[in-house]
Amino acid sequence: MEQSGEFRIGSSREEVWRALNDPVVLAKCIDGCQSMEKLADDEFTAIVKAKIGPVSATFKASLKLTDLNPPESYSLNADVKGGPAGFGKGVADVTLIEDGDATVLRYGVSASVGGKLAQIGSRFIDAAARKMANDFFSAFQGELDPESVETAVDTVSADAGQSPPTAPAGQWKIWAVVFVALVIAFVLTI
Amino acid sequence: MKISITVNGRQHDVDLPQTNALLVDVLREQLHLTGTHVGCDTSQCGACTVHLEGRAVKSCAILAVQVDGQAITTIEGIGTPDDLHPMQAAFRDCHALQCGFCTPGMIMSAIDLVQNSDSLDNRAVREGLEGNICRCTGYHNIVKAVLQAQESM
Amino acid sequence: MSEATGIGASVKRREDLRFITGSGTYTDDMNQPGQAYAVFLRSPYARAKIGAIDSSEAMAIEGVLAVYTGQDTAADGLGDIPCGWLVKSKDGSDMVAAPHPPLAVTQTNYVGEPYGIVIAESVAVAKQAAEAVTTEFTELNAVVDVASAAQSEQIHEGVVDNLAYDWELGEKAATEAALASAAHVTELDIINNRLIPNAIEPRAAIGCHDRVADHFTLYTTSQNPHLERLILSAFVKIAPEHKLRIVSPDVGGGFGSKIFVYAEETAVIWASKKVGRPVKWTAERGESFLADAHGRDHVTHAELGLDADGRFVALKVRTTANLGAYLSTFGAAVPTYLYGTLMAGQYKTPNIYVEVQGVYTNTAPVDAYRGAGRPEATYVVERLVETAARELGKDPTDLRRMNMIQPGDFPYETPVALVYDTGDYEASLDKALEHSDYQGIDARRVEARERGKRRGIGFACYIEACGLAPSQLAIQLGAGVGLYESGEVRMHPTGSVTVFTGSHSHGQGHETTFAQVVSTKLGVPFEDVEIVHGDTGRVEFGLGTYGSRSLAVGGSALVMASEKIIAKARIIAAHMMETEADNVTFADGVFSSSNQQVTIQEVAFAAYVPADYPEDLEPGLSEKAFYDPENFTYPAGTHVAEVEIDETTGVVELVNFVAVDDFGHIVNPMIVDGQVHGGVAQGVGQALLEHGIYDENGQLLTGSFMDYCMPRADDLPDFTVDTTVTPCTHNPLGVKGCGEAGAIGSPAAVMNAITDALGVKDISMPATSEKVWRALRRE
Repeated sequence: MEQSGEFRIGSSREEVWRALNDPVVLAKCIDGCQSMEKLADDEFTAIVKAKIGPVSATFKASLKLTDLNPPESYSLNADVKGGPAGFGKGVADVTLIEDGDATVLRYGVSASVGGKLAQIGSRFIDAAARKMANDFFSAFQGELDPESVETAVDTVSADAGQSPPTAPAGQWKIWAVVFVALVIAFVLTI
Repeated sequence: MKISITVNGRQHDVDLPQTNALLVDVLREQLHLTGTHVGCDTSQCGACTVHLEGRAVKSCAILAVQVDGQAITTIEGIGTPDDLHPMQAAFRDCHALQCGFCTPGMIMSAIDLVQNSDSLDNRAVREGLEGNICRCTGYHNIVKAVLQAQESM
Repeated sequence: MSEATGIGASVKRREDLRFITGSGTYTDDMNQPGQAYAVFLRSPYARAKIGAIDSSEAMAIEGVLAVYTGQDTAADGLGDIPCGWLVKSKDGSDMVAAPHPPLAVTQTNYVGEPYGIVIAESVAVAKQAAEAVTTEFTELNAVVDVASAAQSEQIHEGVVDNLAYDWELGEKAATEAALASAAHVTELDIINNRLIPNAIEPRAAIGCHDRVADHFTLYTTSQNPHLERLILSAFVKIAPEHKLRIVSPDVGGGFGSKIFVYAEETAVIWASKKVGRPVKWTAERGESFLADAHGRDHVTHAELGLDADGRFVALKVRTTANLGAYLSTFGAAVPTYLYGTLMAGQYKTPNIYVEVQGVYTNTAPVDAYRGAGRPEATYVVERLVETAARELGKDPTDLRRMNMIQPGDFPYETPVALVYDTGDYEASLDKALEHSDYQGIDARRVEARERGKRRGIGFACYIEACGLAPSQLAIQLGAGVGLYESGEVRMHPTGSVTVFTGSHSHGQGHETTFAQVVSTKLGVPFEDVEIVHGDTGRVEFGLGTYGSRSLAVGGSALVMASEKIIAKARIIAAHMMETEADNVTFADGVFSSSNQQVTIQEVAFAAYVPADYPEDLEPGLSEKAFYDPENFTYPAGTHVAEVEIDETTGVVELVNFVAVDDFGHIVNPMIVDGQVHGGVAQGVGQALLEHGIYDENGQLLTGSFMDYCMPRADDLPDFTVDTTVTPCTHNPLGVKGCGEAGAIGSPAAVMNAITDALGVKDISMPATSEKVWRALRRE
């Protein structure tokens, strides 16, 4: 599964990068984030309580950063486990691009989900993931610039997913988006 | 948490085991009205259909706290073996059931459908029962039964 | 006895009264004093090594009684769940059965496979505890695609190429030679889509252990409680058979999926002794999707050779059958003995060769689902025949007619090991054509076209084999059990009758039809006969209900037991009338000799109050019988489907469906029609809507009623159902079985209609609007 999209944030690239590396800011922005722990400079764990359709669970995420290139880009390898609720895993590549006074955050995610999340959550994942991502960026923007909340975000491109020939196209898109939301939440936690 | 509900004409004060208890669980587990069945976990099959204040609802999709103070009718409350509801009689007469598991929900939906429609034809019955899945009958005889019951309701 | 309750009467079902009033007793409706509740730990991965399992946090939750894993069941010496049928490969070697522990021990092999059981005071606490268990999994590559499974990573140790068996039937050389010299060869690549049975009642179980007597009782949703007891006792080693009772109360549909012995029921009864409490488990629908045995899932290449006149000269079929991660109870037999043997269909094809590779994949086990092998075989034969007719420009019904086995040909031995006893295939075809107004199809096509619809008609002339038999042959071919059925007729002193049958009714109406049979045979009122089934504590033995066998095999056992009753009663009656038994006739419940008469009820009383009684005759009037059929029965018929396809949307509407079936004699026409309706609906579901889909990682994408599409009322039309009759020649009722026919003929009929409407050679099931829309635009 491949998925990509971008968000425009009304702050400079340095500010965005700094905020992206401020656990306090990010924890506030992730709805349901219960804890974050830094294991090493490039390794984190996070616990997030999330609800996707009928699947409600506490997800434990192990995150590893690679290809760090501040303040422009990095890659994030995530392994998210929700016990009986299922799991997600994959890689997100994040790039920050200067755009005047603002910054465009572009991401590409390659991921998959399994267990109950795949089985019965898939129908709800699209909407849930959009909401999670939007909630995050609204909150994120609010943290960076409390006066400009209304200008935040939402240019998620949900149609950029690639459909492998062996799988039904619709499902891949849905899976992609949920993982985008989860991974973005985790990506931006660092 | 306590609620008070009237089920099949009888009032019950129910102490809910948890606040998110579903109506179907209260009916089955606490009031021992096991005629209402659970066939899925996504509110798709309709086996749990009961009447809430006279209208068909899926009792697996309603919290018990939502129905506090309201009247519920289950399959046990619409007729007795000696005095069947016309829909129950028609289901038997038309062989509209096989394993019987979807039947209570199907009957409750069908009663609501007939009561709230002027005149149903075959197609309208089929569309009206779209929320109840039967895996045994192929619906042929269910449609026949509902059309037959319509005449005597 | 009134005429309205005898054999052949559409008696209203007596079981209905409890179902329509909500008084049925299904397993989940039952509760045992002090019961605890189970939730299963299930693999989220299609294939993974199980590492450390930490249940300490779960055990700390108030109300949690126990967390057991596969390590615990293994340590307790619990045996593997066996496959009940041993299939041999071409080279004579036994199939390779991968070990199937009730709870996975070292590796899980499909998403949803249970590897642990959590037991708590409530379902809510058990669920919470299950979430608190942390399990280290090492994910392995999953094998999902059927066609390439043999070239993929090895799933089970010792199972080379993931191949359980490579089976064949028929003469390969002769078939290939005949194909090579055929005037025309029709070829098709066919996929038989994976189905998920979805009886509306999810599986459930309550395991109980009596510590004092060391006796187990399992209440569960089984189609065959005695077989379950046999397997749990002999193979899984739960307890000896006399210490184990299985009760299968009202069961909300099975369609095959409740034949098998599953991990959950096994774990529940085992755990009841461990925790010293009754343990109840009821599947959520999501669990049913993951862990009930699925059906079908074949990939096939088939070739039909015809001579210049259109006579079939050879049929060659090569199938890869998905068996899932483990061999389920009858999983090995379904794509072989219930599939390859049916390839002659209704036709005199002289050369047939079938080879089937049964492969393991990291998906739920695949086993019998309504029709079990026979819908797959019918689909191959009838899609080929219809395609051949189109390729040759012949009328599809004419081509079939030309090749049909004729009434004078019976008994007819096919090239694939069956001997058909009787039939009149053209009679069903003629009647079906009449009902479907085949003459008028061209006019209907034109009319539909004006409305933007493409109308098509399709046929399926199917045959099936029901009531697997006889036992000795079946066992030689690998069956692990006999295929007889038991019956007991107990006449009480006052003349009423309790009947015990080893068949199990979960919608089929045994309580009515079996009472019709026994009351007719004994000449007692229908109301005086009660049928008991589904309890190993009450019924002596039985092999249960599957394969459309109940009436043909179980009903025949009851006829035999009734005849034994009459034979004994005749001796008593003769004594009462002071004559010889040879002078006594019996009809309608009355024994007569010259001008004297005694009723069977009077005889029953005398049998239990033997004041003046024949010497050397035991008191009492209760008889048992085991009936072992000498052959299969062969229901057959013609199904005709007519569809309209919306050219704009690709939506297929089934506008007419005609089923004309020959089930031999019929005991209750109303029930038979209902069985056909239900079977057709499931077959139409396969053709138009249903598809169990795993992604390439082995995640089930169709895991709820929102994603797995079953027919709802507005997806179907009324059906036209009729019958023809050639009585079965070898059972006392002359019956053949009707439970599966609807699901066997209908998929091919519907797909033949769709390909006819579209003018394409093939389109795979299910013919969703998207697929059809694309096919319309490829033209």
